[in-house]
Amino acid sequence: MILSGWEAVFFWVFSIAAIFAALLTVMARNTIHSALFLISSLISVAALFIILHAEFLAGVQILVYVGGVMVLFLFVIMLVNVGDEERGQEEIFNRSRQVTTSVIFCGLLVAGLIYALNVGYDGIKQRDVATIGETGAARRAQDQTLATSATGASKITTGTEWVGNGLYRFGALPFEIASVLLLVAIIGSVMLARTLKQEAAVDDVAPDVLREEAIKDSELLEVKVTE
Amino acid sequence: MHILLFKILSPFLGLLFQAPGQGRMALVWERAQNPDLSKFLIIGALLFIIGVAGVLTRRNIIVIFMSIELILNAANLNFLAMSRYLQETGSVNAVAGQIFAVFVIVVAAAEAAIGLGIVIALYRNKETIWVDEIDILKW
Repeated sequence: MILSGWEAVFFWVFSIAAIFAALLTVMARNTIHSALFLISSLISVAALFIILHAEFLAGVQILVYVGGVMVLFLFVIMLVNVGDEERGQEEIFNRSRQVTTSVIFCGLLVAGLIYALNVGYDGIKQRDVATIGETGAARRAQDQTLATSATGASKITTGTEWVGNGLYRFGALPFEIASVLLLVAIIGSVMLARTLKQEAAVDDVAPDVLREEAIKDSELLEVKVTE
Repeated sequence: MHILLFKILSPFLGLLFQAPGQGRMALVWERAQNPDLSKFLIIGALLFIIGVAGVLTRRNIIVIFMSIELILNAANLNFLAMSRYLQETGSVNAVAGQIFAVFVIVVAAAEAAIGLGIVIALYRNKETIWVDEIDILKW
């Protein structure tokens, strides 16, 4: 896989954008700014997915992350935001000794990772150089037979069809397990996020237990009054 | 010890020293014009490291969650780059990378929902979002 021409230009533009937005996510003082920088980082990575011919995953990335998860993040920030951080009253990083240690650790990790990537990639390239030449020519010939899109500007790719086929052939059981995981996550977050008052009302607590608890917690007094 | 250090630094040193018959900048420019699999993997590694640094250094628990999303996203980028590379070699396993990326996104969504539920419950009980003040479990 070697990019050239405009693909290479877009690769560099979007990867530099993704890395800068990620850095600003970690360093921004205001939490809302962090969330917005994370959104731009995720969109840049979605563009990289399109360069990698994973159009379906790029769409899923924008729909699920930017449309769902980040909106959830923004709601929670607005629920719990204390505002001391952006007014400069609170330190945004840990104590300086912890920060120094973790930055040194991260530097070592990135040096090791890049070294391993270079060495491993050289090996993999030597192994596959013959097969890539063969199948690359066959793939280009196959791409010529694809149907043209309605505007005539490009070919209609079959990448999404390919992912869907693979998902239902090889990933049917994990797919079902993932749906159960999402159900557990929905029920769990509803359980975790409800207030003490709602909890007492739903769980059908006996009145005398509620009265004892209400002495400790003033929030429960309102439930007792309505009963 | 110094041999190990040299081995780690050699890919960087290779860029610094001149290749025979070619200027250093010309070599870098030529490599940058044709990014291949290793460039995608390096971008993934950098995003991963930024996420790890965020988890280790920030005090705000919500920003820590956002850094975890960054880490998962970097893993996704690696999966898709490898999947594309395997497509080029004609391997039948190429689709596995894209399928796994779908499941990573599912797990990230579930993790965000549960984690933010915990943050809300914690804020209701402790009135704080600073991780160094959340120490109820500390002996």
